[in-house]
This record gives sequence, structure tokens and C-alpha cells, in this order.
Amino acid sequence: MLELRNVSKAFSGLMALSGVTLTVRKGSIKGLIGPNGAGKTTLFNIITGLYGPQKDAVTFLGTDISGLNPAQIARLGISRTFQQAHLFKTMTVLENVLIGRHYRTKAGFFSCGLRTTWSRREERYMKEKALHYLDMLGLIDMKDLIASRLPMGQQRLVEVARALATEPNLLLLDEPTAGLNDRETDDFRDLVFTIQKSGVSILVIEHHMKFIMELCDEIAVLNFGVKIADGSPKEIQNSPTVIEAYLGSEGTDD
Amino acid sequence: MAAAIVILPLIFGDGYYLNAMNFIAIYSIVAIGLCLLTGYGGQFALSHAGFFAIGAYASAILSIKTGLHPLVSILLAQVIAALTALGIGAVVLRLKGHYLSIATLAFTVIVEVLLKNLVSLTGGLQGLSSIPRISIGTFALDSDWRYYFIVWPTVLFLLLFSLNLVDSRIGRVFRTLKEGENIAQLFGVEIWSHKVRLFVLSSVYASIAGSLYAHYVSFVSPSVGAVMFAIEIVLAIAFGGYTMLWGAMLGVAAINFLNEYLTVFAEYKRPIYGFALIVIMLFFPNGLLDGLMTGIRRFLGLIKIVKGHPHA
Repeated sequence: MLELRNVSKAFSGLMALSGVTLTVRKGSIKGLIGPNGAGKTTLFNIITGLYGPQKDAVTFLGTDISGLNPAQIARLGISRTFQQAHLFKTMTVLENVLIGRHYRTKAGFFSCGLRTTWSRREERYMKEKALHYLDMLGLIDMKDLIASRLPMGQQRLVEVARALATEPNLLLLDEPTAGLNDRETDDFRDLVFTIQKSGVSILVIEHHMKFIMELCDEIAVLNFGVKIADGSPKEIQNSPTVIEAYLGSEGTDD
Repeated sequence: MAAAIVILPLIFGDGYYLNAMNFIAIYSIVAIGLCLLTGYGGQFALSHAGFFAIGAYASAILSIKTGLHPLVSILLAQVIAALTALGIGAVVLRLKGHYLSIATLAFTVIVEVLLKNLVSLTGGLQGLSSIPRISIGTFALDSDWRYYFIVWPTVLFLLLFSLNLVDSRIGRVFRTLKEGENIAQLFGVEIWSHKVRLFVLSSVYASIAGSLYAHYVSFVSPSVGAVMFAIEIVLAIAFGGYTMLWGAMLGVAAINFLNEYLTVFAEYKRPIYGFALIVIMLFFPNGLLDGLMTGIRRFLGLIKIVKGHPHA
């Protein structure tokens, strides 16, 4: 479904990523781990087009997306969350999720301003959908709160709802469990399985080892911008390279 | 509100206040438009005086020189203004923050210079006079009283349109412009087209007001597009709160009356307004009205605490 071939990225001469090749299989959950500064978030930014056009290295659903802008990539069905939640601060939780519905809806300038029957019906339908995702994440009681007033952990969940509202084919999660306690993390793991069952493929960055080992079908390990391992959770846990470069030097979070 | 609009002129009668109410209506349209662009969209533009002038002059010139019916010339003036806004917006909206303010201020200055110098078209410093009044059939809207029932329904309609828009899928995107355009893009929103459309809409509001002004006063001069007017409109929305469309209208009313009473200090008007704008922006980031209301609420809360002795 998603294929990265030989992706490199340099920031003023410093190689953040060098020659990374990565595949996310349709319907699977892939983990991306590695010490801080390994280039995981950089990889997300490249996939979603935030760093501008790449040199022919990213393919999604058979389409080369390396030359597309972020909105075009999103419309092909890639959606994401952020490590530091980036919600629209002055908007309510519900309004944030409604932005995710935007490109799936049509009402134009004048039908919105004149509040035509058709635009009202669409708005109602949009809200139903958005509330469905908020319900799924247990946020329904907070729908009318200003998003930036929520605790960080919940802001991340709102981000998941906003991302799901676009009905993506591929969901990128950047450290979704940071700020959640053990029980909430377990709940979140079950939720990710539910999302997977609804047909969404997932690429997830995490430091939380127990979470990632239980969740993922495959895990790739980055270290200093280079992929040092890629395989099933068992293979990763037993790989001497990973243990030395990552687990050995940094220690596990769990 | 609609009822108040019908009743108010009965109280005021046909005189000074009715005239003032009509001007308040006209400037409110500009302020509402600027609220959408600046308050909701976070784009700090000073081009509204320029578009007001375009609306006023385009409609005046069309109706004088070609003898078009004023209603037709007003419509055509909006088309001209919209196309101008589209052209200007596509260039200047690439700028952010203060750079955008400067570029749009330059636009207002250019319009003003053109109005003064294209004498054959605009009448230069003398301006244009005997602009025909709007008439429907043989019924001419030639009194303050009659015009009142054109401008206020127009304001109400545009206010409702704006309130609806802000609370819709399009309006939500406008509101995201203020805080991180990159983010909305990641959810498939085409930011650029929304930004340009917002600029065009907001500019056309100013231009509609300009046209209504020209056919009401039946005289226009380059001062309608003066830079000072651009500042006054900003002051009006700073007074009322950048995202309070009602407040913006109150701000316009306040400025309108200040203009009347400050005639005594005519020479000091600019420094007074400049100072007021600085004070409001420094101490009342959400607008003066919002600041005052918060202050009153706190004060009332204080009284309650003293009376109720909640800690006793």
C-alpha cells in the first residue's frame, strides 16, 4: 500500500534520513521505533508532503505521491496525528473533527452563507459522522470544549478522531500513547485493532515497547536516519543489531 | 433586531439621527467584511478603504457616464471590485502578518492616487457629483427615510450571511487560517483557494458599502478611499472585538459619533485615533468591548463574593 524507496533527507548538511526503504502492507499495522532523533517524525513529514516534493521515492496505492502537495496526499487517503498535538486551538473539539470531514463535503460559499436546505442537511450529516468518531474515542462529553483546554493525552485522541474523520486508507500515528496511563494505553491498543478491522492500514511511531510489540504485525527500527532492522516483533526483539544499537544504548521504556 | 430597525426611525424622525443611522449601516458593512477577514481569517488587511472607493467610483462612473440604472451599475461595480480583489489577493495573500498589512495599505494608497489623477474619469480632486439616486420604477429613494429601508435590510442580510458562513464548513476553514495553515492542508483542505475567496468576499463587502454610499450622498471625492478611513475601520473592529460581528457594528457607531464630536479637535483626530488603537491592541487583545464585558463580569463576581461571604 505504501512504499518508500531509498528516501533521504538532509537538514543543512546533516543527514536526518539516509536511504530508508519501508513498506506498509495493506490492512497491516506497522511500527516504527528508534531512539529520539532517529528520523521517525521526519519520515512522517516526508510521506505527508510537508517537506515539499521528494525525488520520486514515495508510492501510495500504486500512485507516485512524491510530487504532490499535502492536501492532495491527504485526499488520496493518508491522514496523521502529531507528536505535539496540533489542534486548532480556538476551535471546539467537535469543530476540530469537522475539519477532517471538510474535503468529503461539498456545500459552497453561497449555500453555506444562505444556509440552504441542502447545506443544512450536509452539515447535519457531517456532525453525525464527527460525533461517531468522537464517541469511538470516548470524547463525546467533551465535544463543545475548546480543544486546547484538554489534557495533552486527550488532545492526541482528538487528533486521532480528526484523522479518522477523513476516512483514510492509511493512518499515521506519532506517539499516540504519550500522556496516557496503562489502562488508557490498553484501551487505545484495542481501539487501533478496531480501526484496523475497519480496513485502515496503520503506521505507528512509539516508544512504548509493550504497546508496540502487542500491536504491530511488523516493526522497522531506525537509528541515526538509517533503517537497521525490519521484521516481526519477535525478530526485532531478538535482533542483536537492534539490541545493541537501540535497546542496549537507550534502555527500554518498559 | 429587525423590529428595532423598523421602530428606531420612528423615534428619531426624519433628521440628523436618521442620516447618521444610514452612515452607520454603510460603514457596518465594511466592518463586518473586515471582521471576517481579520478577526476570523487572521489576515490583517488595510485594503478596505481602497475597495470602498472602487465600489463608490465604479458605480458612480457607470451610472453617470453610461446612464445605466443605479441598481445595474451597483451590481457591475461589485463585479469590478471582485475581479480586482481576485487579482490583488492572488499576489498579496502570499505575504503574511505585517507584510500583508503594508502591501494592502499600498493598494489603498495607489487607489487614492489614481482617483486624484485620472481626472477625466474620476473628476480628480473635485470628485464626481450628481450621482443618480437609486429608484425602483418611479419610486426614488431620495430621502434619508427611504434609503434607510434599503441600507439596513442590506446590513441585516450581509450580517446573517456572515454569521451563517462563519458557522459552516467554509467558515471553519477560514478560522483555521489564523493558526497554522499547514495543519488543515494535511486533512485535504485546499487552503489557498479558501484564503483568496475570503479576501474577495471581504473586499466586496467594502465595495457594496462604497456603492451604497455613492448613491446615497450622490457625491464622491478621493477622500472616500483615504488611508485614514482604512485605519478608522480597523479601529471600529478593534473596539467591537475582532470576531464579534455585532460588536463591529457598535464600533462603527462609536467611531461615527466620535467623528462628529471630535470635529472640535479635527487636527488632533489622527493622533487620538492612533493612540486609541495602540492602547486597545496592547491592553484588550480581544477588542475593547470584550475587555469591558470581562471587566464588568469580574466586577460583578467580586460584589457577589463580598456579599455572599463564600469563605465565611
